[in-house]
Amino acid sequence: MASAELESQETETMTIREAIRETMREELNRDDDVFLIGEDIGVMEGVLDVTGDLYHDFGPERVRDTPISEAGIIGAATGAAATGSRPVAELMFSDFIGVAMEQTMNQMAKMRYMFGGKIEMPVTVRATEGGGMGAASQHSGTVHTMIAHFPGLMAVAPGTPEAAKGLLRSAIRSDDPVFFFENKMIYEQSGEVPVDEDFTIPLGEANVEREGDDVTVVATQRLVGESLTVADELDGDIDVEVIDLRSLYPLDTDTIVESLDKTGRMVVAGESPLSYGAQAEVVSRAVENAFYSLDAPIQRVGVPDTHIPFGPSLESEVLPDADDVRNAIERIA
Amino acid sequence: MPDTSGIAANVVEDAPDDVSVKLLDMSLAGEAADTRRAAERFQAKADALVILGGDGTTRDAALGCDTLPLLSVSTGTNNVVPSAVDGTVAGAAAALVASGAVDDRETTYRHEMVKARTESGESVMGIAAVELSDRSFIGTRALLDPDEMLGGIVSRANPSAIGLSSVAGALDSLAPNEPGAIALRLVDEDASDQTVRAIVAPGMTTRVGVKEYHRLSDGESMVVEVDDGVLGADGERELEVTNETVEFHSVSDGPRLISYEAVFECAARAGVLKDGSECC
Amino acid sequence: MLTIREFDTRAGERFADGEIPGFVHLYVGEEAVGVGACAALEEDDYITSTHRGHGHCIAKGLDPKLMMSEIYGKRDGYCNGKGGSMHIADVDSEMLGANGIVGAGPPLGTGAALSISQKGEDRIALSFLGDGAVAQGQVHEAVNLASTWDLPVVFLIENNQYGEGTAVSDQHNAKNLSDTAAAYDIPGINVDGMDITAVNEAVTEARKRARNGEGPTLIEAETYRFHGHFEGDQELYRDEEEVEDWRKRDPIDTFSERLIERDELSEEELGEMREDIEMEIEDAIEYAKNADDPTPDEAYEDMFSQRVPDIDLFVEQANARADGGTRGGEF
Repeated sequence: MASAELESQETETMTIREAIRETMREELNRDDDVFLIGEDIGVMEGVLDVTGDLYHDFGPERVRDTPISEAGIIGAATGAAATGSRPVAELMFSDFIGVAMEQTMNQMAKMRYMFGGKIEMPVTVRATEGGGMGAASQHSGTVHTMIAHFPGLMAVAPGTPEAAKGLLRSAIRSDDPVFFFENKMIYEQSGEVPVDEDFTIPLGEANVEREGDDVTVVATQRLVGESLTVADELDGDIDVEVIDLRSLYPLDTDTIVESLDKTGRMVVAGESPLSYGAQAEVVSRAVENAFYSLDAPIQRVGVPDTHIPFGPSLESEVLPDADDVRNAIERIA
Repeated sequence: MPDTSGIAANVVEDAPDDVSVKLLDMSLAGEAADTRRAAERFQAKADALVILGGDGTTRDAALGCDTLPLLSVSTGTNNVVPSAVDGTVAGAAAALVASGAVDDRETTYRHEMVKARTESGESVMGIAAVELSDRSFIGTRALLDPDEMLGGIVSRANPSAIGLSSVAGALDSLAPNEPGAIALRLVDEDASDQTVRAIVAPGMTTRVGVKEYHRLSDGESMVVEVDDGVLGADGERELEVTNETVEFHSVSDGPRLISYEAVFECAARAGVLKDGSECC
Repeated sequence: MLTIREFDTRAGERFADGEIPGFVHLYVGEEAVGVGACAALEEDDYITSTHRGHGHCIAKGLDPKLMMSEIYGKRDGYCNGKGGSMHIADVDSEMLGANGIVGAGPPLGTGAALSISQKGEDRIALSFLGDGAVAQGQVHEAVNLASTWDLPVVFLIENNQYGEGTAVSDQHNAKNLSDTAAAYDIPGINVDGMDITAVNEAVTEARKRARNGEGPTLIEAETYRFHGHFEGDQELYRDEEEVEDWRKRDPIDTFSERLIERDELSEEELGEMREDIEMEIEDAIEYAKNADDPTPDEAYEDMFSQRVPDIDLFVEQANARADGGTRGGEF
């Protein structure tokens, strides 16, 4: 589908970091109700340089630096969204959601439902996830399962620049709260992205990045690229289909089931800790909806229920990578 | 009262071992009467009383004492009577009076007070001023807006004071220990022949229109018909009045206040501060 | 104030009789705060409320009939029966919700004020919070943000002397909760919360500041709840004498006496008002009792602005199981 999408329109090459920044720029230009709010996103241009020069283009009110107050940021964004603004809040490291969890789970997620659907909650929350840069446990976590699990919140986690752009725009334009999870190790990953300023990818739509007949790999974020590499390496031996899940909630059950009906074998790979993780939800959907298509036990790849340690030898031990995906495929192929 | 910032508790805590300092053992209702009751206890026992507060606290303490010398140190917001004086200077002055090292006839004076009484028998007493505002309610108590002020009576007039005393001070002069008072009726500045510049509240220098002012001797009064207004004392609204006749007058034999400057001048003159003197 | 008193008194009775499910937290005794504050606001100003929110709703102009329906869990209620007593909200009245989480309102108030500021609107937000909420971290963050950005918001602490069952003095060392304003370099005002005129004046002044771009004000209104924290509370933390002392300062009695004294209200008029309000609330209760319950399938509505397939999928699976089948394909 990606290729079909891309073939039909003009594209440019950009990194995931650029795709996120340019989407925000386009949406800030398009809609006066959109503003960015977060720690060091303005003058400092973002701690991982994602917001970049937006502050210089839009000024301190549209790109609003805040005190170090995650509960305040999420609370203010929630209140602003409830009153007609369209804030894009940055939590910086996703681990910091702990500080803001009350406003997230009890206000942002519940307001619409508790009020009988009589309020919109058009808020986007960006946060960076993942290990790999020696940032240790409190700056390397992958917490998207918690958000995807919590009713009333949508969660997306792109694995390509195209997905980053299409999903972020959908998130900002959505009238529901959407968490946009960025993996910090793939900001520099580049790819083709449509130039159309209205290009969106619907929330809740996965994408088959590579077609194959033998094994389905459902991956998220960094593991999408790693899985594509593995698929190429195994080419001719095992025919691997790679799906970028893209949206964690809503979850595209149909695309998973369709692929499983074809391959009968599945690996689910992501950086979430394994127990009760996002991978487990994909497995559940598969088992509930495609049980009779399964030819082998489904395999999960993820962090084995530890935090992300600091030392490089320890960190690389727990982080899932291409080898883990290859081993999982080979166990069932 | 109560001592919300814990000044008294700190004094007790930090007192040297050879100085006995105790807090009064009394229950607090969190109202003006607490101050009066505390002052009554001191009147019975103490030789001098230091008050930390504003005009209101000084007045409430004054209502609880008769002859006890008071030294009022400014910590309130709307202050005419208390002095903005260093704590050590104030404490030493009070000690010089209490110990009898200086002659209290030379160093203290009786501060006149002022009062407003309604026909139905309610009254409001102020040490510096009793004000009449055209607000209908006591509300947040503060009297800040000069436009709402209809007039009142002051026990002292000095242009360097704050509030109604400052308005009176722009026109006349009245020392706090002089008998009598000055009564004022104010009007909108644009409708008045006589306007003055006065500091009516902290941070507010304003033009005020004066309709009339009278110097009242002891026993004289100004009578005002009030349809709907609030009487205030020393910058705070106290009593709502409707369809009333209000009589403003001075009250003599107010509290005995210590002048710390007079205390030190007297002490120096008497040689009390010289090494080898018997006192100190 | 009379409407709130009658509404909450009757709601308390209906709860005690088992007619109303869940929890109800009554505003009886604190009426002067909500009414005094809302009377100082313009119609399109926002408010955020607390778990003790009925009074704020009525003061903001919500319809007791639809409020009562919500408390009874009926479809006609403000939240279609999904919110209940602790979550009544009416966005059309700029009432951004009662709130079951202590201290959660101020960040939303700050957010609403941020919206106002971003859009250049001529209105303000007011967040009610309790004395207990002052101990919450997110309240500090909200006030600090609002102060830093000079946002048009008023924070009104209803100090009813108890955070749930613990006395204020056992929760804070600050003698006046309004003193905490100093940390944010904003005005901190302490007013008599049993006096509607004092609250009204303070909020009027604070609103003026907010509109002038001078930023937030923190007001503490000293008040008292005549009932327990929730209905059924044994009230082990206070004695009857204290409650009686505060009842002598009943904000409705004291204010009506003042109005009668100044001939702005007669005993007869007051009596008529009471009767009219009793009838209005009686009607509201009858209306709520007879209103339709939501149908069970409505539980799956209103999660998002659009239907998500996930919820439908799970509902379908549940329905299929109920029909004795399974979803997952065939051999």
